[in-house]
Amino acid sequence: MDRFSQVFNEVPLAEVHDLAARRAEEGWRYVQILAVNTEEGIDLVYSYMKDGLLENDTVKAVGADDAVPSITDLFLEAFVCENEIHDLYGVAIENIAIDFGGMFYQLAEKAPMTVVSPEQLAAREKAKKIAAAKAAKEAAAKGEQAAPAAPAAVAGPTEEEIQAKIAGLDPEKAAKVRAAMEAKAKKAAAAAEAAAVPAAPSAALTEEEIQAKIAGLDPEKAAKVRAALEAKAKKAAAAAGKGE
Amino acid sequence: MGKATVIPFGPQHPVLPEPLHLDLVVQDETVVDVLPQIGFVHRGLEKLVETRDYNQFIYIAERICGICATGHSIGYAETVEALMGVEIPKRAEYLRIIWHELSRVHSHLLWLGLAADAFGFESMFMHCWRLRERVLDLFEKTTGGRVILSVVKVGGVVRDIDATQMAEIIAVLDGIKDDYTKIMNTLLTDTSVKNRTVGVGHISTEDARALSMVGPFARASNLPYDVRSFGKGAYGDLADFQPIVATEGDCYARVKVRCLEVLQSIEIIKELAAKMPAGDIEVAVKGAPADGAQASNVLEQPRGECYYYARGNGSKNLERMRIRTPTSQNLAGMTVALKGCDLADVNMIILTIDPCISCTER
Repeated sequence: MDRFSQVFNEVPLAEVHDLAARRAEEGWRYVQILAVNTEEGIDLVYSYMKDGLLENDTVKAVGADDAVPSITDLFLEAFVCENEIHDLYGVAIENIAIDFGGMFYQLAEKAPMTVVSPEQLAAREKAKKIAAAKAAKEAAAKGEQAAPAAPAAVAGPTEEEIQAKIAGLDPEKAAKVRAAMEAKAKKAAAAAEAAAVPAAPSAALTEEEIQAKIAGLDPEKAAKVRAALEAKAKKAAAAAGKGE
Repeated sequence: MGKATVIPFGPQHPVLPEPLHLDLVVQDETVVDVLPQIGFVHRGLEKLVETRDYNQFIYIAERICGICATGHSIGYAETVEALMGVEIPKRAEYLRIIWHELSRVHSHLLWLGLAADAFGFESMFMHCWRLRERVLDLFEKTTGGRVILSVVKVGGVVRDIDATQMAEIIAVLDGIKDDYTKIMNTLLTDTSVKNRTVGVGHISTEDARALSMVGPFARASNLPYDVRSFGKGAYGDLADFQPIVATEGDCYARVKVRCLEVLQSIEIIKELAAKMPAGDIEVAVKGAPADGAQASNVLEQPRGECYYYARGNGSKNLERMRIRTPTSQNLAGMTVALKGCDLADVNMIILTIDPCISCTER
């Protein structure tokens, strides 16, 4: 009995057809083709199977100007996936045996799978930040080993600490936690400054305080609260002016 | 030979419960060329993975198809588990496969009923669907749902089947088996059924292999490809699993393979029930798939091999989820089977291939 296993390989675009021809000759089964929309371009994954081994050949970052050769001359059944990728991702695939010319799916929008949703954008940015934080943490750890760091003057959380805290949370919750922690850091910094230079007591809320107040609210409510607080701050400033 | 005429077939057609359109190029009464078209109900479900976290998406994966719902939830869960390196308890694997094989029984009975109805055997349709109701009752008793079960989660299953319920499942399946065997023998020996199916829509083993066909469609052409034979999960504990094949490659062979697969599924469920290990039914899954991590998976759905792919982006939402359904793979085989057939046989050939277009239009 063959056991199931899977492999992911990278192949250049120019070799897609040759590889398919080789696989057809060696008796591999065509399984599927899929596309992934990435920031660098469209990744295409060609899957073939033989004796329980599923090989996924990935072509990285296919651009809008790249012409992808069809493999339907070797595997007719690939016409479904190729037409689908053309319609949903706008990838130009040449010489499809049964080519629907963009009419395979009845779509309201052209290449809908290339539209990056706000959620996806947020997830990508978060992934980048986590990677950056991880790199920074590693660099900091190396630095600490070299020379013990000076005791922190400010008690507020650092960027690294925030990143560590929000890693693994869903984007909405991560945004809330981040806002709250940033506010805390600012507050701590402000408190440290206040301790150093005694400032005149202010009746109005500072920008930091407004930020802290609206963190975690939904955008519409946050805008309202911000407007109300800013109005209050203006009023307080005017009153202070009059008083003088 | 007469003049070639194009006859449109579907997406609304009395024998087709699916939105499939065919342009049939016909000369006299013979189909000489076929152009299949789908895409009337494309739902963009794969895109929704961006707005649902990987735990929530399982409910969408299940709704890809009303017949293979359990299979899609298992396929999706297995893919995400592979992506995150999660190993689920043995009992959960058994429970998943029991519900999945029950789904195969209900799917094949549904198909058999529709096929019988298509060749004018209406009483057979009623018998098949009556038996199918008993399987749906089992679903309802064990999960609370009749079509969408929602019992599979990433990390295991959410419900257990206790010994009493398991005994009931076995008793009901034994009852179904007796009734079903009578129906099956009638169907497979009936002259009018044979007249409509024997020698119709033939596909050779070489064509089946060259067109990478999957499921009962391929096995009826003597291509013994069945994902279950890889022994993934609880299938690995079966004493002996041999894919059911037929050599004829025609409509009759496809009917026969599906008929026998119902009995095979019943035996699988009984064997797994007898071997059911004790223990947990789920493990806690924490964190999110790593950025750029990817995994693929295959699962034997009632209509054949289904391919799943997932890619993570470091958040709880997946970057990409992809499902290639068995029907998508069999469309090319369908065009080959239809070429050269009589116009009157088109519906019979399509039904014995059992396409699930709604499934394909994720």
